[in-house]
Amino acid sequence: MSALPFEPPPPPPPASTTRRSLLKLAGLTLGAAAFGKAVSPMFSFAAEKSIDEFLQNHYRELGPADLREVITRLEAETKRDYGADVTIRDPKPLPGVKFGYALNLSVCIGCRKCVEACHVENNHDRAGYQSYIRVLEMDKGTIDLEHGRADYGEPVPQPDKYYLPVQCQQCDEPPCVDVCPVEATWKEPDGIVVVDYNWCIGCRYCEAACPYHARRFNWTAPVVPAAEVNPEQGYLSNRIRPQGVMEKCTFCMHKTREGKLPACLEACPTGARVFGNLLDPNSEIRWILENKRVFVLKEELGTKPSFFYFFDV
Amino acid sequence: MRADIQLGNGAIPVQTIAAVKMKPHATRLTTSLLLTSVCAMVVCACGDRPTDPPAQPGLTPSAAAATHPSAPRFEVHVAKPTGPPRVATDRVDALGRPITVGCATCHSLGVGDSTRAMGATLTQFHQALVTRHGELACRSCHEAPDYANLHLADGTTVPFTDVQTLCRQCHGPQARDFDRGSHGGMNGYWDLTRGPRQRHACTTCHDPHAPAYVGMVPARGPVPQHFGGE
Amino acid sequence: MAYLRFIARMLWLAFDGSWRFYVWMVALTAVWLVGVNAWAHQVSDGMIVTDMSDHVSWGLYIANFTFAVGLAAGGVMMVIPAYLYKDRQMHHVVMIGELLAIAAIVMSLGFVIVDLGRPDRMWHMIPGLGKFNWPSSMLTWDMLVLSGYLVLNLHVCGYILYCRFNGRVPNPKWYVPFVLLSIVWAISIHTVTAFLYAGLGGRPFWNSALLAPRFLATAFVSGPAFIIGLLYVLRRLDLFHIADGPIKTLVNVMRITVLINLFMFASELFTELYAGGSHSAPVEYLFTGLHGHHALVPWVWTALALNVVAAVLLYLPRLMARPRVLLTACALTFVGVWIEKGMGLIVPGFIPSTLHEIVEYTPSLTEWKVMAGIWAFGLMVLTIALKVAGPILAGREHAPGVTPLPPEGAEDDATAGPTGKSLSEARHAG
Repeated sequence: MSALPFEPPPPPPPASTTRRSLLKLAGLTLGAAAFGKAVSPMFSFAAEKSIDEFLQNHYRELGPADLREVITRLEAETKRDYGADVTIRDPKPLPGVKFGYALNLSVCIGCRKCVEACHVENNHDRAGYQSYIRVLEMDKGTIDLEHGRADYGEPVPQPDKYYLPVQCQQCDEPPCVDVCPVEATWKEPDGIVVVDYNWCIGCRYCEAACPYHARRFNWTAPVVPAAEVNPEQGYLSNRIRPQGVMEKCTFCMHKTREGKLPACLEACPTGARVFGNLLDPNSEIRWILENKRVFVLKEELGTKPSFFYFFDV
Repeated sequence: MRADIQLGNGAIPVQTIAAVKMKPHATRLTTSLLLTSVCAMVVCACGDRPTDPPAQPGLTPSAAAATHPSAPRFEVHVAKPTGPPRVATDRVDALGRPITVGCATCHSLGVGDSTRAMGATLTQFHQALVTRHGELACRSCHEAPDYANLHLADGTTVPFTDVQTLCRQCHGPQARDFDRGSHGGMNGYWDLTRGPRQRHACTTCHDPHAPAYVGMVPARGPVPQHFGGE
Repeated sequence: MAYLRFIARMLWLAFDGSWRFYVWMVALTAVWLVGVNAWAHQVSDGMIVTDMSDHVSWGLYIANFTFAVGLAAGGVMMVIPAYLYKDRQMHHVVMIGELLAIAAIVMSLGFVIVDLGRPDRMWHMIPGLGKFNWPSSMLTWDMLVLSGYLVLNLHVCGYILYCRFNGRVPNPKWYVPFVLLSIVWAISIHTVTAFLYAGLGGRPFWNSALLAPRFLATAFVSGPAFIIGLLYVLRRLDLFHIADGPIKTLVNVMRITVLINLFMFASELFTELYAGGSHSAPVEYLFTGLHGHHALVPWVWTALALNVVAAVLLYLPRLMARPRVLLTACALTFVGVWIEKGMGLIVPGFIPSTLHEIVEYTPSLTEWKVMAGIWAFGLMVLTIALKVAGPILAGREHAPGVTPLPPEGAEDDATAGPTGKSLSEARHAG
């Protein structure tokens, strides 16, 4: 038995050392070139991004001047990429306002006009017909979503069905906010849960966490024809989002923070949607909460939604 | 009744370390270190959560309500009908527009068989009229001989522009819901101190003779998401 | 200065070897470059090149991430006997497990990076520079524990190798506490990864207390399975001196954990299916199909079958005398756990969706390429690590002018049974 379980290999002859070294060098060079070629698609993508965008801070840390610069740059990029002149504003939360939304399930006929209006208002990708709202056709007599269908097509309303539009519930205990690793999403003082599209890293943990299928991811850069771009945009709401980031319903905050109604409500032909300030005791939404038999979806999860459903009794 | 309206201010106060009793030095040090670390963990876990928005300075719910009544309110405009309906004849004028007549054109001449009470029994005129409004007869709402107006159940005359009053006398719950914004579409502002609002009238969606909502073909459904990659 | 010499020597060793080494590394590099290219296309064109959707928003990448974390945790099954129970034979080869942990953590971090929609914004996670949502977000916990585990293993292995390279006996004070910490830390990496999923109330398929224990059980099946295979390979290549003892220990570990895993599997099935109701929809979809959709049914039954067959094989007597049976069992259960993590855990968490819609998922070609690329990269890291560590531990590699320490495992030569042949014998045998 030898003291060493291994025997050292015999030293290679000198000539082959040089050949080995040359071969290794050639191999390394070839490898580096191959790597460069393999990675090249990323360079054209990176060339379109600016250093300013790369280094941009979180929304909550941008001063007014920084934000103005960012917005100017974004408006210019929208013009360059989409051929549309847009105005991006950043309306602040109104004092003494907390938004609430109610939906009358006795009146909703499932026409999906709200879905369409959301698609148009929020500059969604046209090919995917993206929208923040999904309408479920439910059997009368059950609230179990397992018996719902989102892909109905027959004329509405069907006599044995009722229709349940679902969108972001702007929860008071939002699971999406808890799980975001970089605080790219947070709840604003007026109740809206927002996303800073220039901070999100696209890990989609929030999408996994949301119990209401409310979050959407930009699997590709949205494609919107210039003529169809909605030019009234908000920084945290309906500006055209970049590829690879999350987005969600913001209760049309670029409109509602100026006192206007959200697009889905304006499109609803039957008036099934009620929107307003929960802190105003004279508002329509407060009357609904105090006089109708109101419920929320998946209440047992403790998310405390700001979106309420009711039937006319 | 939902009483627990969330105000969104959930900042949790930092716990202060209670006074420590007089103990031997090492034990006191250990106890205070333990308390400090526990409090630090509590603060770490509770503070700095993105769900905590800053408190609204100076505005409690009652204060907010108080500012509203005194603020100028814009009007809510309801799309009422402009007058009695006009019936199209089979004639057109020199410019090709259909010639229409008002109710009084025929009915002031004494035309109109009052014995025909229900729409289904009409044989000579208004046959295209579909009536499906419960057990209502024509004269439940229309007033003979003054067909230019409507009337309430107690006989009070109601002009066509106020047709909503007629609907309201029977459909109280819907009227109440309409007033409270949960029935009938609207455009404009939720905050009437900042802008006006336009609303549908009852008759915008409900044909008074057959008010059941007709329904429609729904807009496009969701595109099946199955990208399939390459 | 000495440290730089050590690094330089390691780099040289990483690129020098037999023709078999070159073939292996070139093949891995080729696969890796295919993966890099696929990923570059994904970054440029967007994740639409994958088959993920707003319904199934995590897929092959996160499945592999979960599996790789389990693989890294599995190395602890060598560390515990070596350090806590003073298993001397295991102590000689424990570094293999630690090096595997390094490679596996590198792979898992790779899978996270390729799953990001905006990898250019990764700096947003750095505390201080960006915003780090700790302790609220479990992903931040995961980043901390994974990086910490990587650093721990790098330190332990690096320290020991560096000392031996310089002919010094490693000072236990500088590595044993870290090793003991890594035992606890290994449990934590997979627990935290499980908590990522288990903490989501909106996903009832994942929102189970049993998820973290199941993760650990599968980690301690897949980890030892891979290590046993690796040990046999290393024995064949004569890189390390591997006695039978460590392999027997790992087999014993697997015999227990494979049954625990099957038991937990059965327990989950019972809980989901006995009461029924809408919460059992994901399990129904997985095992029998739901509403006409049944893409995952063959996968989950295959995974179950693989694990059961592997369990039976592992309980056969005289397994050490039948390496082919043992290696088959290891391979079967390794694949079985991989399928179970991916098709049996991640994907069904999204099917049906939170609004009870069913949108299915089959990984696209891009995803397979990227996955293959990362596995190739992990294997490259592992190969280089072992290639560098082996000679140092054997005393063949050392700083010039330094007397090497006695090689690891030298005293096992007298005590071990029929083990690896000597190097010259191996050469003649081809």
